[in-house]
Amino acid sequence: MKKVITGNHAVSYGALLARSQVIAAYPITPQTQIVELLSEFCASGKLNAKFIKVESEHSAMTACIAASATGARTFTATSSHGLALMHEMLHWAAAARLPVVLANVNRAMGPGWSVWTDQNDSLSQRDLGWIQLYCESNQEVLDTTIQAFKIAEKVLLPVMVVLDAFVLSHTSEPVDIPEQTLVDKFLPPYDLKTKLDLSAAKSYGALTNPDHYFEIRYKIQKAHDEALHVIKDVDNDFYEHFGRKYGVVEAYRCEDAKVIVVTSGTISGTTRGVIDEMREQGRKVGMLKQKLLRPTPVDELRSILYKAQKIAVIDRNLSFGHSGIFAQEIKSTLYGLAGAPPIYDYVIGLGGRDVTPDDIREIIDNTFKAESPRDTIIWRGVRL
Amino acid sequence: MKWLEKYKVQVPILEKESDYPNWAISMTTTLLNHTGTWRIFRPIYLNKIPPCNNECPTNEKIQSYMDLVKQDKLLEAYKLILEDNPFPSITGRVCYHPCETECNRKDYDESIGIHCVERFIGDWGLKKVPFAKPATKRKVSIAIIGSGPAGMASAYYLALNGFNVTIFEKKAKLGGMLRYGIPAYRLPKKVLDNEFKKLITLGVKFRTSSLVGKDITLDNLRKNFDFVIIGHGAHKNRPMVIPNEEASGVFSGLDFLSQINSGKRPKIGKKVAIIGGGNTAIDAARSCLRLGSIPTILYRRTRAEMPAVSDEIDAAEAEGIKIEFLVAPVKITVTKKGKLTGIELIKMKLGRPDASGRRRPVPVEKSNFTLKFDSIISAIGEQVDLSILSADITKTEWGVKADFIGRTNIQNIFAIGDCVTGPKTVVEAFGAGKRTALQIMGNADKIQHKVERPVQYSELNLDYFEHTQKVPPPQMPVAVRKKNFKEVHTGYSNVNAKNESERCFSCGVCNKCDNCFVVCPDLSVLKDTGEYEFDYDYCKGCGVCAHECPRYAITMIEESKAEVE
Amino acid sequence: MTEIRFHGRGGQGAVIASEILASALFAEGKAVQTFPEFGVERRGAPVQAFLRYDEKPILLRCKVYKPDHIIVLDPVLTKTVNITQGLKPGGWILLNSTQVPKNFRFEGFRMAIVDATSIAIKYRLGAKTAPIVNTAILGAFVKITNLTSLDHIIDGIKEYVPVKLEENIHATKEAYEMVRKI
Repeated sequence: MKKVITGNHAVSYGALLARSQVIAAYPITPQTQIVELLSEFCASGKLNAKFIKVESEHSAMTACIAASATGARTFTATSSHGLALMHEMLHWAAAARLPVVLANVNRAMGPGWSVWTDQNDSLSQRDLGWIQLYCESNQEVLDTTIQAFKIAEKVLLPVMVVLDAFVLSHTSEPVDIPEQTLVDKFLPPYDLKTKLDLSAAKSYGALTNPDHYFEIRYKIQKAHDEALHVIKDVDNDFYEHFGRKYGVVEAYRCEDAKVIVVTSGTISGTTRGVIDEMREQGRKVGMLKQKLLRPTPVDELRSILYKAQKIAVIDRNLSFGHSGIFAQEIKSTLYGLAGAPPIYDYVIGLGGRDVTPDDIREIIDNTFKAESPRDTIIWRGVRL
Repeated sequence: MKWLEKYKVQVPILEKESDYPNWAISMTTTLLNHTGTWRIFRPIYLNKIPPCNNECPTNEKIQSYMDLVKQDKLLEAYKLILEDNPFPSITGRVCYHPCETECNRKDYDESIGIHCVERFIGDWGLKKVPFAKPATKRKVSIAIIGSGPAGMASAYYLALNGFNVTIFEKKAKLGGMLRYGIPAYRLPKKVLDNEFKKLITLGVKFRTSSLVGKDITLDNLRKNFDFVIIGHGAHKNRPMVIPNEEASGVFSGLDFLSQINSGKRPKIGKKVAIIGGGNTAIDAARSCLRLGSIPTILYRRTRAEMPAVSDEIDAAEAEGIKIEFLVAPVKITVTKKGKLTGIELIKMKLGRPDASGRRRPVPVEKSNFTLKFDSIISAIGEQVDLSILSADITKTEWGVKADFIGRTNIQNIFAIGDCVTGPKTVVEAFGAGKRTALQIMGNADKIQHKVERPVQYSELNLDYFEHTQKVPPPQMPVAVRKKNFKEVHTGYSNVNAKNESERCFSCGVCNKCDNCFVVCPDLSVLKDTGEYEFDYDYCKGCGVCAHECPRYAITMIEESKAEVE
Repeated sequence: MTEIRFHGRGGQGAVIASEILASALFAEGKAVQTFPEFGVERRGAPVQAFLRYDEKPILLRCKVYKPDHIIVLDPVLTKTVNITQGLKPGGWILLNSTQVPKNFRFEGFRMAIVDATSIAIKYRLGAKTAPIVNTAILGAFVKITNLTSLDHIIDGIKEYVPVKLEENIHATKEAYEMVRKI
């Protein structure tokens, strides 16, 4: 059934169709509508889940961890400062290998206080062991939410579904909401093998000395390695059920492209339109949309980007004192590859500054013209 | 390793990636970690002497019977008391209860009403529990001179253990000072008679109206009995040594009380002066009041120095008895025909402390004055009649010379109670009697000696106690009681006794409150056997149990000094 | 691609109006995208909502800068907000008003007015002092542009308006009849 809904509600429907069993969340703009609708689903009986009201995001994630450890399918949503407040427990969820699914609405961190979008909140949680999937449209949001549970439960890692504040969260567009029976087929109930069991009491997350800690961390990395395959398999499986797939990265008109623009989130949509327009003009430009940030899809990135002459990375985020974070990612991915193309790092749209087709055209034109990449960030739209 | 076998734990092998769990989940019990090896100090359960028990001359295990009363185990409580004191209905009434004076709870709110609980148990036992029968008879004969509290206690334990006991009593009835010295409003005769039934049931033989020295000689007793216990008390009135002391209308305190206790009503007139500040003086004054007279106590020091039990002084004052302090008799005033008219007194002031530590009264010059009285009771103290003793027995300033156990200089002759110490208390006589009995029975090791340092208030963990008020001892209203010799105190009910016993700290003695079991962070307090035990395999010696023990029943000792298992 | 901009005040229902219109256009088989002005909504403050529709999927993810039409829910906004900013020549201006405000210039645009406030008050939509005019104005917009059918709008109302369904439908129909092209 196709329905015109917001990105937030697309998440809610995803969590509904996935038959979440425990939801614990704390409200924060621009996420609130996600759990608002879910709480309505719980109240009306449409969703048979325990909705736990908590006093903070830290507690929300703690509750999710505990619920997930019992084997319940667990969901939460947050944004920005809420995600930051969860930080400690985000570590916990990953290191405890609990398949919690979290939707994060990308909102800039304060101060200055901002409710608008950029990616610094989720990218600050990059190194925790969570799988991160960035979405471009409301349909992708819903589909990714459903996929996230399957991925999480297969590799026992928590998954973060990321969507831009307002540009997706509050934007309504047609979304094909799948049939429950079909989703049930795709995502059957799962059984966590090492769940909390009163009849076989164990100590969970206790002191782990240097004799063993290292090995357990090694296993998290191995799980991420495995996740690369699992995410693709799940996407393919999803395609077989629903006819839609997204890939861990998407190469858009990259064949014979001299310049490839690397994007994530909603900027991908605007860029896609610009690419179409420029291709009509005969310009050899393509786009790589990076949906999966962690684990890093190294092979995909290399095989696509290697062929280009120049790469323009658009970062709606910034690692202060260094550069845009996706640019770092791409650089390190291509490092050591003989003849790898130069990388141009464009930082744009922080704190929800609108990113228009003109901005993208300018970035592409600039990249075509530039001789060699500067060491520093190329700022777009800073009025200074 | 022994402890591994005990818990059937196996050390997991972690070699391959698949050996590892996905995250930090324990793969075996934490019993693997023998944390007891970390211990520097170890806790031990070590019961200590509570101040009540230490101070009690019979060493009643007070905290233990409080605990039993709390649990409604009255029979066990009664039996426990009888181990140390055969006559709790008597001490429950007349003991000056040093236990309560020393009770640690007094520093918290109010001391426990121990004597009231004791009396309740004693009376309950007299009513409900059959009297004990003696053990197998032994062919050892004991003569006891005097049926007062010292002799009674000795007789009880010796007879209970099969000894052949005969008591020689100069008076017609048994009980000595208990019967003739203590007024019925404090110790009803019926209670005394009932307690004596214990001795009768045990087969103790009584020879009343047998004055040793007159009817039978000590030497005779020494020949015919294996052991002789002298316990004839201190019944001789100490003279005031003032003019006209022999005048008609001047009574000795003990004689006066003895007459009343024998059912007589001495003619004392309306206004009576009682000279002295001891228990006899108070008893005499309160008895006068009950005979319809107006007694006035004349005492040469102040209230603080009065040797009488404070509660008794309070009771006397509550009944309206006037006490004149800092006055000493100079002479009894009489008419020319020798009829008593009153007493001439001199005012006193307190000087330097004397041998007893009390400030010595010093006369104020030219402060003489006279008060009118119809009769005068002299109660300045009693002395031991030493005339009955044979010459070979060593004596002291006070009386017979005997040690803590009652041993005199002659083997097989013991002396106990007031005849050794001069006038003291009933409970001290009971204690002396018990000790001598234990010695004769060959159980000298069971004689408890006072410790220097019983459990201190500061050693308790008071966080575990709520402030509560003592259940006040129920008594008859003053207006009613001062008109007759009926018992003033009516005693605790079962509920009163239970409530009061629940206030007991049980200083230094484990009463299984479970606190250590609950607070131990290592779950190393076991109670599988019904008794608490430390599991030293895992106890880290953190000391939380000892610190949190409300009653200081756990002691931390250095591991290096602990016995090696 | 066609872009429509709504001007209103917080509480008048501009955002819901854009959603109803989007769902109606979607029912026509169009690709749609609608969103409020991003930020914090406050009752009474000027707000905007945007709507895009197209025959092919909409890729664009930025604000609407050059709308094809504008719908104004409160005539007073013509004095405080530059409502025609970026409006493409020949675009419709639909104004909730009894008359064209004085000094309001609309050369090169098409202009229509409807008294949606009176209609909303008549059907007791919202409070008398803050009537909710969103459903009424949509009836007028459909009439002047013929972009979708009144039935599709009514279906949208059924989906997005939680209360007073009949009254809202009546208001929509009444405005459909009463709208006046200038």
